[in-house]
Amino acid sequence: MGFLVFITRNLLGRPARTMLTVLGLGVGISAVILLIGVSWGFERSMSAIYSSRGIDIIVVRAGVSDQLSSNLDAGMIDQLRTVPDVVEVAPSLMDAVSFEEANLTSVLANGWEPGGLLIRNLRMIEGRPLEKGDTRAVMLGRVLALNLKKSVSDELVIAGEKFKVIGIFESDSLFESGGLIIPLAELQHMMGREGKVTGFVIITKPEVDPHTVGKAVEAKISGVAAIPSQNYVQNNVQIKLSRAMAGATIGVALMLGSIGLLNTMAMAVTERTGEIGLLRALGWKRKRIIVLLMGEAATLGILGVMVGALMSWIGMRGIMLSPTSRGFIDPKLPPSAFLVGLAMGIGLSVLGGLYPAIRASRLEPTEALRHD
Amino acid sequence: MTDPGTSTPTLLRGESLVKTYPDGDVRALRGVTLEISEGEFVAITGPSGCGKSTLLHLMGGLDRPTSGEIAFRGESLNRLDVDRFRAQHLGFVFQSFYLIPTLTASQNVQVPMFEASWPRTERNHRAMRILEEVGLAHRANHLPKRLSVGERQRVAIARALANEPILLLADEPTGNLDSTTQREVLDLLARIRTERRLTMMIVTHSGEVAAAADREIRLKDGLIVQ
Ligand SMILES: Nc1ncnc2c1ncn2[C@@H]1O[C@H](COP(=O)(O)OP(=O)(O)O)[C@@H](O)[C@H]1O
Ligand SMILES: [Mg+2]
Repeated sequence: MGFLVFITRNLLGRPARTMLTVLGLGVGISAVILLIGVSWGFERSMSAIYSSRGIDIIVVRAGVSDQLSSNLDAGMIDQLRTVPDVVEVAPSLMDAVSFEEANLTSVLANGWEPGGLLIRNLRMIEGRPLEKGDTRAVMLGRVLALNLKKSVSDELVIAGEKFKVIGIFESDSLFESGGLIIPLAELQHMMGREGKVTGFVIITKPEVDPHTVGKAVEAKISGVAAIPSQNYVQNNVQIKLSRAMAGATIGVALMLGSIGLLNTMAMAVTERTGEIGLLRALGWKRKRIIVLLMGEAATLGILGVMVGALMSWIGMRGIMLSPTSRGFIDPKLPPSAFLVGLAMGIGLSVLGGLYPAIRASRLEPTEALRHD
Repeated sequence: MTDPGTSTPTLLRGESLVKTYPDGDVRALRGVTLEISEGEFVAITGPSGCGKSTLLHLMGGLDRPTSGEIAFRGESLNRLDVDRFRAQHLGFVFQSFYLIPTLTASQNVQVPMFEASWPRTERNHRAMRILEEVGLAHRANHLPKRLSVGERQRVAIARALANEPILLLADEPTGNLDSTTQREVLDLLARIRTERRLTMMIVTHSGEVAAAADREIRLKDGLIVQ
């Protein structure tokens, strides 16, 4: 008999408790994996929007928490172009539209200039990009096209107006591949925001520091914030919120998980005081008692990670059934989220197992045997 | 410690052993000195509560005396690694067996082997051989609850032999058995003792066992009575 057999025997000897503990750990770990997965996916989607096009600076109204609520004069573009080291500027109007018939709410609608830098760098998978002179034409992201079951030259009603699908594009960002693009002027008109945009994107000369250029923009134009795209993503309220939520979940899950494991292991020690005394009487060293109980805790932790991974996978399927999340949440959980889950399982085993294990190892053989 | 003239050197020696239990301030042993020679079979008798178990636990390094000293082959247990002493040289048999209910007979026998240097792959085989020795090879894969009371005690004896001890301590090993089973277990212990040349201390109420022993040590109120 190997030591592992001994450990598993102990756990199998109390199947109900073992199962409940593993299940409890699994719930906590899966919550963490899911939230981290979603939160990181969200962040990746955000930064992909800018990094894939070489965008260096985002200009929005100073003090607004997110781009959708920013409001700037489209005419500001001429001033921006005159800032030193600015190579190219593009305006953008963002809004959310819904497609009730497809059960999709809050689909990101981008108003961009046909032929502009934002559209130029899109990866087309079908049809063509918007060109100057296009009217009532829409480009769909791949995921949105799938969700709406539309392809090139189909008709699509957006906010009560008829559009023709002219192209389908791919994007590393789910915000974009789950959204649509129409000419800026048309979105402005539809939303009653003529002459207004939510922001600008700037490409600078490659050798300059975007921070410096940003400062120059802010000095020249009052009331705007010109944020390097790296910082923009990091400081985005939604990203901060999703990070804080993931952090809080990890904290709560760690606490509940370690209390659960602590409780199980403490019970195991109390119940088995006699057995531990016997092992000591048979010559087992204190160290081996610690290894035994930590081994049991670790086994529970690893089983918890496995159950948690499975539950988070199932949970993700569940989330994808909901129309609001579809297209906004990346259904692929990053492997690193599972690594965090694994680290959590190990951390919990140590946290919850160590104290009972040390307490057990301190038992003297006779004092323990007297319990029977 | 050993007298150079004697052919049987002292294996275990207890010197002025006092044991006071803190709760209730019980003085279980009040100054006991005894020597056990190598190969000797000693019976410890006396009324219930006179300190027999306490003495056996001290001699086996399961507990420490409040004062006094125990020496194994002349070396004080205070200076020895007691866990190792128990694992290597000592087999202990308890009145209520203390088998682990979730382990089979063979696995129970293997429990002490974790602290010995036998290769992992040999543990099974060794357990089998010892179970054969106590006549339970055919029960090797049974859980304790499926064994008779006498069989359980024989598994416990096999476990005490797991690491080839030279000293076997048994605390009323037949206290929970009926008279026929008691007979069998005592015969087994006697046979093992001769075959393995064990030194043996048995706490017992049985006059029969006491008579079979080389020597009887009688305790009363924590003292040896002559
Ligand atoms: N762990 C303990 N704590 C307190 N008192 C104990 C403990 N173990 C034994 N005693 C007491 O010490 C005395 C001797 O006990 P023990 O050695 O078990 O006697 P015996 O084995 O001869 O019946 C008894 O009065 C018993 O109640
Ligand atoms: Mg007793």
